[in-house]
Amino acid sequence: MSALPPDMDAAGFARLLGELRGAVGSDWVWSGAEDMFPYRDSFSPVWNTGEERHASAAVAPENVEQVSEVVRIAKRHRVPLFPISTGKNFGYGGPSPNVNGSVVLDLKRMNRVLEVNEARNYCLVEPGVSYFDLYRHVEERGLKLMLDVPDPGWGSPIGNALERGVGYTMPHFRDHFGAHCGMEVVLPDGEIMRTGMGALPGADTWQEYPYGFGPDPAGLFAQGNFGVVTKMGFRLLPLPEYYRTGLITVPKRRDLIKLIEHVNYLSDSGMISEVRFASPLSSRMADPDFAALATKLGGPSDVEMDTAAEAVDLPSWAVDLQFLGPQAATLAQWEYAKDRILSDIPGAQAIAGDHFKLPATEQQLENTTQPYASGIRRKAALGVPSLGIWEIVRDDGHVGFFPVIPRDGEAVFEAQRVLGDAQREFDLPPYFSAITVPLFWHTHTFQMVFAPSVKHDDPEHNAMVHRAMKKMVAVAAEHGWGDYRASPIYQDDVSATYSFNDHILRRFHEQLKDAVDPDGIIAPGRGGIWPRRFRS
Amino acid sequence: MISRRSLLKWTAVAPALAAGSHAAFARMPHGLDALLLDERFSPEPQPGQPLIPVMRFAGDVTRVWYDHLDRRWREPGYVLGGITGSDALFVLENLAEQHGRRVVSRTVLDEPHFQGVAPISWVIAPHHPSVLA
Repeated sequence: MSALPPDMDAAGFARLLGELRGAVGSDWVWSGAEDMFPYRDSFSPVWNTGEERHASAAVAPENVEQVSEVVRIAKRHRVPLFPISTGKNFGYGGPSPNVNGSVVLDLKRMNRVLEVNEARNYCLVEPGVSYFDLYRHVEERGLKLMLDVPDPGWGSPIGNALERGVGYTMPHFRDHFGAHCGMEVVLPDGEIMRTGMGALPGADTWQEYPYGFGPDPAGLFAQGNFGVVTKMGFRLLPLPEYYRTGLITVPKRRDLIKLIEHVNYLSDSGMISEVRFASPLSSRMADPDFAALATKLGGPSDVEMDTAAEAVDLPSWAVDLQFLGPQAATLAQWEYAKDRILSDIPGAQAIAGDHFKLPATEQQLENTTQPYASGIRRKAALGVPSLGIWEIVRDDGHVGFFPVIPRDGEAVFEAQRVLGDAQREFDLPPYFSAITVPLFWHTHTFQMVFAPSVKHDDPEHNAMVHRAMKKMVAVAAEHGWGDYRASPIYQDDVSATYSFNDHILRRFHEQLKDAVDPDGIIAPGRGGIWPRRFRS
Repeated sequence: MISRRSLLKWTAVAPALAAGSHAAFARMPHGLDALLLDERFSPEPQPGQPLIPVMRFAGDVTRVWYDHLDRRWREPGYVLGGITGSDALFVLENLAEQHGRRVVSRTVLDEPHFQGVAPISWVIAPHHPSVLA
């Protein structure tokens, strides 16, 4: 099912399509149900319901000049555009827009790697470049650089960064928006702007100093709707010489508090790459008695959990550590981490893991020789894009809620209990229990994951998932835990939770939107920001 | 749109693929440029030289994508048949759509699932004018 743009009849739509074809060529404009099917969100819990968002058409410009012309055409017709890069934002809305009838601005043809600078460790790319494209560019030239990739790696660095997506290497590279440096943007009136040093003609530092002079508007374009990003620079990690891993376990439930403090120190000091927390007790969830204890209303006591762990002779927590750098430095860092934690937490144990020179071999990337069970996905950990994670996707996909949690053990325990209790009314797997661990993806904070699956042939299940998503967003916000990224169907819910001082943040964004895009040409509603035209 | 040439190619092979993995391999279909087999469902390689290139993988299409399809799908033509899990087909279909190609035939096979994943036979053919042969 496709839709017409807001306030537009069929004749006006035909004129719009004609002008778009004139701008980009007739082969690069699509409309009609069959052509628009790929622009639906196949992971949507409102699939085939009245709440599903449908685009009216899609247009794929080849260069920034065509993007500018498309924006000017849309402005003349007062038609919302919904920019996508490669459209792989699954779990967060895929390529589907906020507003029914929007025209998808598909930037897949703008797929040039414009520069990769090995000596100064950066790249400049267009939106249609995928992580695979960038990896191939680096690999085929033998450049000594490491990417930081999401998992799966089929999306684009620009699209992922603008969604504030994450990767799995060193802290300051995992935050993909934080690792960007300089962007080119087509504004809602069709003007082309460059941020930072890109605004200074002749500057050769666009990808080295992000701020330039005066206010830096770059943040407005992440999860925002103030322009169409057509180029973006990223800082890259020089290829480390060596990779080393190790596992540390601690025996008691409350040892997690100290363990997290040590990991915080190691991470903020730049000594470790991404870590994976785990509970070896997760293997016990197949036992109904243990599962009942771990998901007990109000949470089990520390004594109950310690008793359960001792009964099966398992430690309560583990953390996978990874080190990148010169071989001697990684060894020294592992020894330091081990000594630091084992000398402070009684009963803590350490196991040395795989270590090898980089770049890794295919066999090393398969991660089959680790002497302990590991949650590390080795390819992503070493910046190698992969599609393998789709093996774990079941049913027809899932939606994602990833609340931001303080990087603190007590906060983790509270989130386990509060979110675990909140999800009990829904017939879903226990995403939150007394053994749920935090994700350390973003540079300085934790998240947890709630990602129930959707089923195209089971609308009752999907409706339950939809209710559960809304409830979890609300309950988490009551405790100060906000979602970091959301599908269009949840963006208003999430935005509403960031409500300090009578929603001044949203009202400020609306003032900006009204000033630069009152008709809502660029993605109205994205990030919960609606221009005056749509607010009424 | 699908060219007449492509249409003839994939309609000729679709019935053989739909007959299941053993039948598909035994009656190596004509009209495809390559066949993709997911080892979680497909039989061991048969003796003899296959008539068309056969690519094998086991659930994770990364190598097939990076080593073959990413390059081949940038050029015109290339009709690809496959028997894979539904999860692998989801990935391939999304990548195909981004490269002007579509799944033009798909049949869920009446064969054992692998850890809840159904085997599907399918054909992906060029669709957009920029990649039509």
